[in-house]
Amino acid sequence: MFKKQVTFVIAILLVTSLLMAACQPAAPTTPAEVPATEAPVVTEAPVEPTVAPSTRVGGWLDEVVFSVVDADSVITQLQAGAIDMYANGLSSKDLPAIKEAGLAYSTNNGLYYNILYNPATFADGRLNPFTNRKIREATNWMYDRNYLNQEIYEGGALAKWFTIQTQGPDYVDLIDVARSLETKYAYNLEKANEVITAEMEGMGAELVDGKWAFEGEPIVLTFIIRTDSDKTRLPIGEYVAAQFEAIGFTVDRQLKTGSEASPIWIGSVPEEGQWHLYTAAWGSSIIDRDEANMFQEMYLNSSQQGIPAWYSNVSDPEFQELGDKLYAATYKDLAERKEWMKRALELSLEDSLQVWLIDGKGFIPYLDNVVATADLAAGVESGQIGPYTLRFDGQEGGTMRWATQDLFAEPYNPLGGSNWTFDHGVYGMTMSNDLMYDPYTGLTWPLMIERAEVTVLDGLAVGTTHDWVTLDFVPEITVPTNAWVDWDATTQTFITAETMYPDGLTTKRKTVVYYPEDLYEKVKWHDGSNFSYADVLMSMIMAFDRAKPESAIYDESYVPLFDSFMLSFRGWNVVSTDPLVVEIYSEAVLTDAELLAFGVWPWYNLGEGSWHTFAIANLVEAAGEAAYTIDKAEPAGIEQISYIGGPTLDLLAAKLETATAESHIPFAPTMGDILTAEEAATRYANLKAFKDEHNHYWLGTGPYVLDKVFLTEKTAVVKHYADYPYLADRWGNFGVPFIAEVELDGPGQVTVGEEAAYDVFVTFKGEPYNADYVKYVKVMLYDATGATVLVKEAEFVEEGLYKVTLTAEETGKLEAGANKLEVAVVPLVVNQPTFAAVEFVTQ
Amino acid sequence: MTSELSEKEVPKVESATSSSIKRIARFMGFRVIMLIVTIVIGVYATILIANMGGYVDTIMRNNIRETTIMEVAQLTANKAIAPEARQKMVQDMIDLEEKRLGLDTPFVIRSFNYLWNGLRLELGRAQYMVSDSGSRTVRLILLERLPATLLLMGSSQLILFFVSVFLALMLSRSYGSFWDKLVIALSPTSAAPPWFYGIFFILIFAAILKVLPFGGMVDSPPPDTTIGYALNVLKHLILPASSLIVAALFFSIYNWRTFFLIYSSEDYVEMAKAKGLNARDIERRYILRPTLPTIITNFALLLIGLWTGATITETVFLWPGLGRTIFRAIGYYDTAVIVGSTIIYAYLLAFTVFLLDFVYALVDPRVKVGGGNN
Repeated sequence: MFKKQVTFVIAILLVTSLLMAACQPAAPTTPAEVPATEAPVVTEAPVEPTVAPSTRVGGWLDEVVFSVVDADSVITQLQAGAIDMYANGLSSKDLPAIKEAGLAYSTNNGLYYNILYNPATFADGRLNPFTNRKIREATNWMYDRNYLNQEIYEGGALAKWFTIQTQGPDYVDLIDVARSLETKYAYNLEKANEVITAEMEGMGAELVDGKWAFEGEPIVLTFIIRTDSDKTRLPIGEYVAAQFEAIGFTVDRQLKTGSEASPIWIGSVPEEGQWHLYTAAWGSSIIDRDEANMFQEMYLNSSQQGIPAWYSNVSDPEFQELGDKLYAATYKDLAERKEWMKRALELSLEDSLQVWLIDGKGFIPYLDNVVATADLAAGVESGQIGPYTLRFDGQEGGTMRWATQDLFAEPYNPLGGSNWTFDHGVYGMTMSNDLMYDPYTGLTWPLMIERAEVTVLDGLAVGTTHDWVTLDFVPEITVPTNAWVDWDATTQTFITAETMYPDGLTTKRKTVVYYPEDLYEKVKWHDGSNFSYADVLMSMIMAFDRAKPESAIYDESYVPLFDSFMLSFRGWNVVSTDPLVVEIYSEAVLTDAELLAFGVWPWYNLGEGSWHTFAIANLVEAAGEAAYTIDKAEPAGIEQISYIGGPTLDLLAAKLETATAESHIPFAPTMGDILTAEEAATRYANLKAFKDEHNHYWLGTGPYVLDKVFLTEKTAVVKHYADYPYLADRWGNFGVPFIAEVELDGPGQVTVGEEAAYDVFVTFKGEPYNADYVKYVKVMLYDATGATVLVKEAEFVEEGLYKVTLTAEETGKLEAGANKLEVAVVPLVVNQPTFAAVEFVTQ
Repeated sequence: MTSELSEKEVPKVESATSSSIKRIARFMGFRVIMLIVTIVIGVYATILIANMGGYVDTIMRNNIRETTIMEVAQLTANKAIAPEARQKMVQDMIDLEEKRLGLDTPFVIRSFNYLWNGLRLELGRAQYMVSDSGSRTVRLILLERLPATLLLMGSSQLILFFVSVFLALMLSRSYGSFWDKLVIALSPTSAAPPWFYGIFFILIFAAILKVLPFGGMVDSPPPDTTIGYALNVLKHLILPASSLIVAALFFSIYNWRTFFLIYSSEDYVEMAKAKGLNARDIERRYILRPTLPTIITNFALLLIGLWTGATITETVFLWPGLGRTIFRAIGYYDTAVIVGSTIIYAYLLAFTVFLLDFVYALVDPRVKVGGGNN
């Protein structure tokens, strides 16, 4: 009897403990309290931004070992010391756990979320409230974005009102307008209800027992709420539905996955009325420096999105015209562009085909001793700078255990290989390019080039920030007659401007790129081959040849990209091969000259490539044995070329043998002028030796060499590249972003008509903020109604201190009551403003 | 007289043999036809279900449009491009992708192509999924994952099966003992799925004790030597295999023990006990033998069940097995992979069912292939 009882008790205890363990929330995910006013920071890495000078070249680490880890176990694994960082990033829901675990982290752009309305008039006569722009506009007051940020995103995201990136370059440029509009459209359910009620009644609807009805029938809003993705769209949808119900609407919540939802919101005709609202989300992994196109794309029926809801939107004619003009960049200068952008921001909120709610963030956790630079948009994994600054604090060398979501999702080749962010993490370690994207501003710095000169036509809205690139304006730019403007795939020679445009050719922009004099001596591919002009020439040829039906490596899927390239391309003129100086002629013009300074580095679609690896891969594709892109491989029933494994390794090896035996020179009619058989033989021998050592063909010139790959085991090892030409500390100042810390101090009471002064203290890690890094300190004054009374700039006093003086005339505009003074410190070196505000009473 | 009798008896024997062969042939033929029909229906039903009767085409078309729009937005960000050029680029890319995925051919035609190719074991190429080595060949996608699945599922399920049967047989002989009651009491623990135990084990052995890895099949990077690699794989196998075993062990023992108990209490077993036969003989001759068809059926189905993998447990432990592959294929609506996996399972199942009919006849004299008049 006793045994029976003991057995029973043990069993009950065991089962209960298992169930309790299963039911209780995991300790690391306990939400931490986040103050409502806390602004998200870009990084909390406890290290200084600069590094001590070093003689080490290339990357700081000896080795980086990539592995795949389940996102749910990341924090536990970091705490257990099993990995050093999780580069793929976690979502906002994990932020409290990251903080609680005491881990360092960086942030990057996540998805951005909004409500998309169906603006069509329904064919069956049902009333669709969202045909009415004023109702759509009023819904901005219905949504408490800060509440959503705190409740759903743990305070780790940003409230969003505009289609442009919150705190992105355009937002910062328009900060006073943006903040004023954010104040104007702050949460106010009563106001929303008031406006919507008036408009609904105007449309013939009536409230029956507290519910809106039209012609005796209840108005039921069909709301498509996504349940998948990162799962935050479900609570957003529930919140939005509840808000609509609170003002008398009946909401039919249709919970659907992406694949279930897209046939409805994309696939159906809006006039059929299958839906009213949709929880949309968009993504951007770059710091977009020119978002003037976004108004047309995200609101207007002239949008190129190709989604039916856009075509049904009837916008205000002024907005329609302005959005189209901004897309076409027809402004005469940057000042006019700014004015147009200001007005477009206002009109976009009045249109509100989409109401923006949240700019999401991703969080990249790592151990305290890790220094990782995260691009504000792309993070660590896709950010170009990551490999150059990744290190252990205060240490040279060591092995970094880099965990990510997956690896080798698709074959690796620089033309049409894997485009997954986790695979970019591996690629990035091994690659160089002409320019380095600034992780905090989206501008560029010279990486492999020395300098650049940009010349554009008079009147074009282009500016420059850095002094490594010059910018000139001229009345006309003529393409030289000997410039290469196209490629003849039959004769395998370039077509010159003289042949193609006998009457001459002019264009909008000319960029001259100067490479270092010792480029060919100091830059080496990972197989030991010296970088040469042949690598550059090969990439120029490949840019054309694959789009030509006569070519042996013609690829139909490349044609759309090529066509868009040719629309703006006007020619290359190689002024000198050693040192390498190249002129680029183009119709493409952007607002920043730094982004127009790319040269002719052998960078293909996804990465750089040497001429000799492409030579053998071209032989494979030309023989019809495998293809670079899946679009070409699939219909032919052949494999996609992978440089790192799988069945195509043998094909590449066979072609390498052939190429070696024949001293093969690709595109010989052109490449033969600069390549000898001996040089080709040396390259192929180097590649063979590299393959024998590493068992793959993935070559780069970057700071790390891809040493080993284990495809099924999902792991890779990259090793320090000792022949990299530049010092490891070259990008040391990008350790962490210089995000200003701001305090605003001054009187709490101001007499109307009398002067008042406030001090603005700007610091970075407790030290005065370098004044050279500050673009401006903007001052905004709001009255008791929230209306903007004043916008101006603060005066510089000394480093770290600025002064705001409200003159007697300015305070005279205020009425008695509570007012708010806000300052926005906008740095030059990081695209993230810092805000501070103080409230004062006027009497 | 004797010779006359013999002469008369020989044709009877020949006639009986001939009749048996005919009966077996008829049975086999009928069975094979039925199995083929079942396979055809089953596989075509899978194709229809996996494609939602063709509705997946609509889903895919809209997904292509959505992803292409975003892809082009990324490609053209920070680049000056005319609206018309961009629109053309979007449409051209959509057209190419639809063509690549075969959406330019009606679903009905594609569905019969899938079926015909599948029945001939021409598994073809995946639409979205890629093998670990970068190939889209369905055969490679499945084969590359097969060793890992066989290792995990094989080791865990075989251990589970033999341990369960062995212990159940023991318990059936000691009905009502402490161990018997303990197993009964613990059998509800199988209500929790293997992945639950997996998470529990990871917390204990990887996070807290740090003696076993969190997941994966091998360390990153893997050891250089073959022996080191093998030992390392075994180390990684412990937790996932244990979670699969522990989750099912007590219920499995309980199940088999109940099954054996029925046979243990038969009159002929009681008679054998009364006659004083030793326990081992009773177990082997009087309990195990009549239960052999059931045991063999379970074992055979277990073996072909290895093919399906353990989806969630493989996911929890990041074990590169077939279960995860098939799960992903379903998520991607990758019909070629789904059909490839289904057709192989269907053939294995059909072959096993076919074979079992003969095995039953071999191990149990009461069973006659094809039935017959008696």
